[in-house]
Amino acid sequence: MDKILRINMGASGGPSQSIEKAGEFTALGGRATTSMIVAKEVPPDCHPLGAENKLVIAPGMLSGTTGAMSGRISVGCKSPLTGGIKESNAGGQPAQVMARLGYAAIIIEGKPATDDLYKIHIDKDKVTISVDNSLKLMDNYPLIEKLRKEHGDNAAYMSIGSAGERKMAAASIACTDPELRPSRHCGRGGVGAVMGAKQVKAIIFDDKGCQQRPPKDPDGFKAANRAYVEGIRKHAVSGEGLPAYGTNILTNVLNEAGGYPTRNFKTGFFEGGTNISGETQAELEVKRGGLATHGCHRGCVIQCSGVYNDKDGKFLTKQPEYETVWSHGGHCGIDDLDTIAMLDYLDDNIGVDTIEMGVAIGVAMDGGVIEFGDGEGAIRLVRDEVGKGTPLGRILGNGAAMTGKAFAVERVPVVKGQAIPAYDPRTVQGIGVTYATSTMGADHTAGYAVATNILKVGGDVDPLKPEGQVELSRNLQIATTAIDSTGMCLFIAFPILDQPETFDALLGMLGAFYGTKMTGDDVIALGKKVLNMEREFNKKAGFGAEDDRLPRFFKTEPLPPHNITFAVKDEELDELYNWG
Amino acid sequence: MQTSANLQLQLTLNSVLISEFYPLLQRGVWLPVTTGCSVMNLLNSQLGIAEVYVQDRITTLFLDGKAIDELTSAYIEDGSTLALSTAMPGLVGSTMRRGGHLAAMRGEITCHPSQAVATGAGTVKIKLFNMLMKEIGPLLLERGIFLSGAELITLLTAGGASLRNGCDSVILDGFPLPCAELFEQLPTRVNPQQMMLLKVIWQG
Ligand code: SF4
Repeated sequence: MDKILRINMGASGGPSQSIEKAGEFTALGGRATTSMIVAKEVPPDCHPLGAENKLVIAPGMLSGTTGAMSGRISVGCKSPLTGGIKESNAGGQPAQVMARLGYAAIIIEGKPATDDLYKIHIDKDKVTISVDNSLKLMDNYPLIEKLRKEHGDNAAYMSIGSAGERKMAAASIACTDPELRPSRHCGRGGVGAVMGAKQVKAIIFDDKGCQQRPPKDPDGFKAANRAYVEGIRKHAVSGEGLPAYGTNILTNVLNEAGGYPTRNFKTGFFEGGTNISGETQAELEVKRGGLATHGCHRGCVIQCSGVYNDKDGKFLTKQPEYETVWSHGGHCGIDDLDTIAMLDYLDDNIGVDTIEMGVAIGVAMDGGVIEFGDGEGAIRLVRDEVGKGTPLGRILGNGAAMTGKAFAVERVPVVKGQAIPAYDPRTVQGIGVTYATSTMGADHTAGYAVATNILKVGGDVDPLKPEGQVELSRNLQIATTAIDSTGMCLFIAFPILDQPETFDALLGMLGAFYGTKMTGDDVIALGKKVLNMEREFNKKAGFGAEDDRLPRFFKTEPLPPHNITFAVKDEELDELYNWG
Repeated sequence: MQTSANLQLQLTLNSVLISEFYPLLQRGVWLPVTTGCSVMNLLNSQLGIAEVYVQDRITTLFLDGKAIDELTSAYIEDGSTLALSTAMPGLVGSTMRRGGHLAAMRGEITCHPSQAVATGAGTVKIKLFNMLMKEIGPLLLERGIFLSGAELITLLTAGGASLRNGCDSVILDGFPLPCAELFEQLPTRVNPQQMMLLKVIWQG
């Protein structure tokens, strides 16, 4: 990964391209690369859909190698949803293929002067940017079918559906999985709208003739990778729970804890929870000839995903993740897995973030657009309104905050304009701190790397002190930023938490690949550096301490059944970024 | 809480059919037990689950919706609900883990040590999640669970042909009954309002 591809969509005479040396980005990846480039090159006060914004795509540090779990791809830009910096990542095949093609990043900038729609084809010899207006307003599944006929099945595809072309702030970028389904999405923050604003419909990566990226120390890399895989396989979460039930294994537990936000955050318990739990979902998938265990990219050894077939045993969608099952399920009072799976498919096809879309629908239900529990109504809203770009569809497709305003809803669960996912911050207050303070807006993955005790980031925390929640969240966010920068799937955090030798194996892989010795301190320093840059960008974009807050109803409305409110004080939240 | 049943039913089933009980096990099954004991006492001494299994495998527990850190100082009362799970993914999964590094993040719903309560005959509702349904579910059903006639009818109807075909014998209130008869005459044999004690003997 020694080069960066820069494409100027607004060049006079049509899009231009240039190749630059990767320089400092050669040994970086994922969120570190996207956020550093965005922070350096994008004016923080620019319009997210204007020519000055840039879409930056970066594979992980070990993507394109034989290293396990290394296939996450990051997309960065100024977010049309939050107005701040954004990094959104997904699985699928593109990271591996892009890395084997040698690109540390692709930067798409400018904006075409005409309304032509483009596709970008990248192989080992050249980059072809061509007009293809026949793709206009196609949704992801038929689009990929059409592109496959032309570009074959050895390629990996990134694309936007009609929502991206309509520049909806909830629009996602789809990445194809090993079966070439556009089912893995850089979902959060409206990155698909930025791709739509650049008038790029699809990027096709073809690595024919390319080799796996070679490590500097092949034997060391192989040995570290083996230890890393063993660690992942022997751990109860990554080796057993996630493969068997996927992330939706969390539904029952969150519900039992009274932390499952139900009917737009009114209660923490959903009476229909077991009907849509991961356990019920896995049974149904297997019964219908689908799969309860499946990897989103080659090289994934956890395989938290699956294949969800319809009643007739035909593929409907990939296994909906916990946050999707929640947003379209309990949040909307819907307890039918087939309805939720259909909504997941529609979201993927139209190209919208499943969390933002589901939360927006729940808010619309609270505003009286349809009743809570109306599954058919929810399908109609996504398929016939968002999918067709009607005025109502555009309100919903621009996210929960816009929907709340349009329908005068007081309880709108967003931070920095981005919908709060699946875990009520009144029940797990530490995650509320992360939602409030993350540079990304409300994001459950922002403080996900549960390995802080091993990394010893920030030293040992005294959880009994009031500032304990803030300190824990800070450490989690730093560690997560670091893992996001490696491009590894975040689910490796569990074996790392419990098994120091697995964390050492990961450092060993990075060290053996790049021929440098990496320590836990280096990882933490990287996390802090990236967070600082993101924070600085947001400040310049107009964000202040008042934006690092949860909506007030979390402080004033006690959440049944435990009847608790969010109690972390504003002054404590303001301490989060004071790490010296 | 209910400590006796109007009707007793014993089924002998093929062990693969445990999966038919998963919806019921997730929602929770009532068990006759001696209450007023610690969670560890209930699981280990009364239900016969090995201590090492409880310690290593049942890493996420909720007593009446509160996350448990200490197995010996959380007490079961008559009518308590105890939910059991293996280790969970995600930040929140880790947060919920018994005695985990991140337990402080859910301080508001942590189950704090309580005074020992009076012992006596009672019932406890046990919910099983994920791998524990397969691993502990058979044991609970063997021991016997209370359920309403309506719940039994739902269970046997949803199980359909596979439950019927995998059923080797039926004893209803002490009298053997052909399996087909139970399934065919379900509405006349079982009153939805009736409280039943169901025991399962596993085969194969
Ligand atoms: S564990 Fe899940 S999300 Fe992570 S790489 Fe594998 S399939 Fe994708």
